[in-house]
Amino acid sequence: MPGLEIMAANEDNKKQALKECCLDEEFTQDEQNQKLIDEIAKENILLTEEIQKLEAELQEATRNSQINEDIPETKIKFTSVENPESDSQFSNISYSCQVSSKVPYELQKGQALITFEKEEVAQNVIRRGEHYVQLQDVNVKMMAKPVPLNSGVRFQVHVEVSKMKVNVTEIPDILPESQMRDKLELSFCKSRNGGGEVESVEYDKQSGSAVITFVESGGTHVLRKLNGALPFQLFADKILKMKDYPLYINQNCHRVIVSPYTETHLKKFQVFSGVAKRTVLLTGMENLQKTDEETVEDFINIHFQREKNGGGEVEVVACSLGQSQIAYFEE
Amino acid sequence: MLVPFPVPEVPLVFRGHIQQDREMAKSVISKLQISYPLPGGSAVVIFDDPNVAKQVLQQKEHKINVEEFWLRVQVQPLELPMLTTIQVSSQMSDQRVLVSGFPAELKLSEEELLDKLEIFFGKTKNGGGDVEMRELLQGGVMLGFAKDGVAQRLCQTGQFTVPLGKQQVPLRASPYVSGTIQKAEVRSQLVPQAVLVLNIPDVLDGPELQDILEVHFQKPTRGGGEVEALRVVPLGHRGLAVFTAKSG
Repeated sequence: MPGLEIMAANEDNKKQALKECCLDEEFTQDEQNQKLIDEIAKENILLTEEIQKLEAELQEATRNSQINEDIPETKIKFTSVENPESDSQFSNISYSCQVSSKVPYELQKGQALITFEKEEVAQNVIRRGEHYVQLQDVNVKMMAKPVPLNSGVRFQVHVEVSKMKVNVTEIPDILPESQMRDKLELSFCKSRNGGGEVESVEYDKQSGSAVITFVESGGTHVLRKLNGALPFQLFADKILKMKDYPLYINQNCHRVIVSPYTETHLKKFQVFSGVAKRTVLLTGMENLQKTDEETVEDFINIHFQREKNGGGEVEVVACSLGQSQIAYFEE
Repeated sequence: MLVPFPVPEVPLVFRGHIQQDREMAKSVISKLQISYPLPGGSAVVIFDDPNVAKQVLQQKEHKINVEEFWLRVQVQPLELPMLTTIQVSSQMSDQRVLVSGFPAELKLSEEELLDKLEIFFGKTKNGGGDVEMRELLQGGVMLGFAKDGVAQRLCQTGQFTVPLGKQQVPLRASPYVSGTIQKAEVRSQLVPQAVLVLNIPDVLDGPELQDILEVHFQKPTRGGGEVEALRVVPLGHRGLAVFTAKSG
């Protein structure tokens, strides 16, 4: 029967087609999965590379950031006499200050910085964007932009100089520990040598050093004997030599080194991002000739002082016409 | 210094400090304060003229006339420790995070804020752990954790909704760069106008003693002069003489 055969053939064809179709689908599905896997793998590699790059940048950034500051002499004035809140406040001379880094900006040739008294004025100048400033006989088109600033660090330094403890070093290693401790106490309580009543002795035989704690302000006498302008220095691993002190052991006098017991702490350390709110960057002066920076600064000042030019009270102007210069931004 | 993650903003201004070559970052020193302990039976005298102080200090002992008797006191120059060099290096901290994003209108005291943050970030269910250290900074709070890995975990999560009082505040945890002192040099600086008076016998009470001392130290015949300030710490009491930087 030809009809049935054809039907059967059709059925077969259908099945075959379906089978092929399914295979195709499976194949496509596999292909698709593989494609996806490949894509994800690629992305993974890219991301890993980016992470590595960022980590390296970070290492670089943090390694290079150091505050290294020689602080010039500051004049001191008396403010008041307060009541100490605790015993520890009374046993130390306490020093504290805040250190905040100035953030540098490299002022390129043809750029100027202008600081306004009011933030609003600065923002308006930036908003305006283009400014036509008359510099002597030339009309210069300047662009006003915000100043891109890097980050800085700020922190507090607290120094406690003990009035009751002294550091002793270069103690000879010639006696057993507890005997040396006794000798130290005996030597340091002799007021004729500048000592005072000793409360306790911490002795480290290995390093040949000790910390002597005096009763009340007995320590000041010892330190007063060390006259003159005394440099106290705290390195991570060094102690500066100071005056020496007699340590008597069996008729022999050994000179040991005495220095103030100082503790230094860092507090409230933070990295901050600098934002210039009142200072504006002006560009467009690259091609100026036959003029000097001071003249240009004066003209910029005059122009931006005028309200009709969109300006206001100006605090300071600086420009770079030749070599680039470093401008420092501070809190 | 470039940091590839957000840090709190601080407004800065250019005040005219400009120079040719790039040196190490300069710094501004501010809020200088020195507290010097004064024992009972002492006084601090600040003279107008530092030369007067110098003259007064030439005699280690002063005899102060009080009606029928004499008070014997010791005088001493005043030297204060001053930071002259500071070297600080910074590095990423493995155990600390910076929490930021606090709204300006937050009405919590420092202590309250730190407590609430410690409570939230102290819970492992929030991704935190035992808080070892906390510090309020400008624009953020630093939290230090006892265990390794907590800080990293928190930074990876990044955003948190923290109950601060009545509000649920969205905050962010980011890596914290911490500082280490590499070198700190402290020198002794004389306060030229100051004289410390010590071992004042306990025979007069505060206000009377103040007057007697002022009179004595203002007498030009005794090498004295105009006194800017004089403070007495009576026996049985203790004081802290506070000094700050002269402005201008």
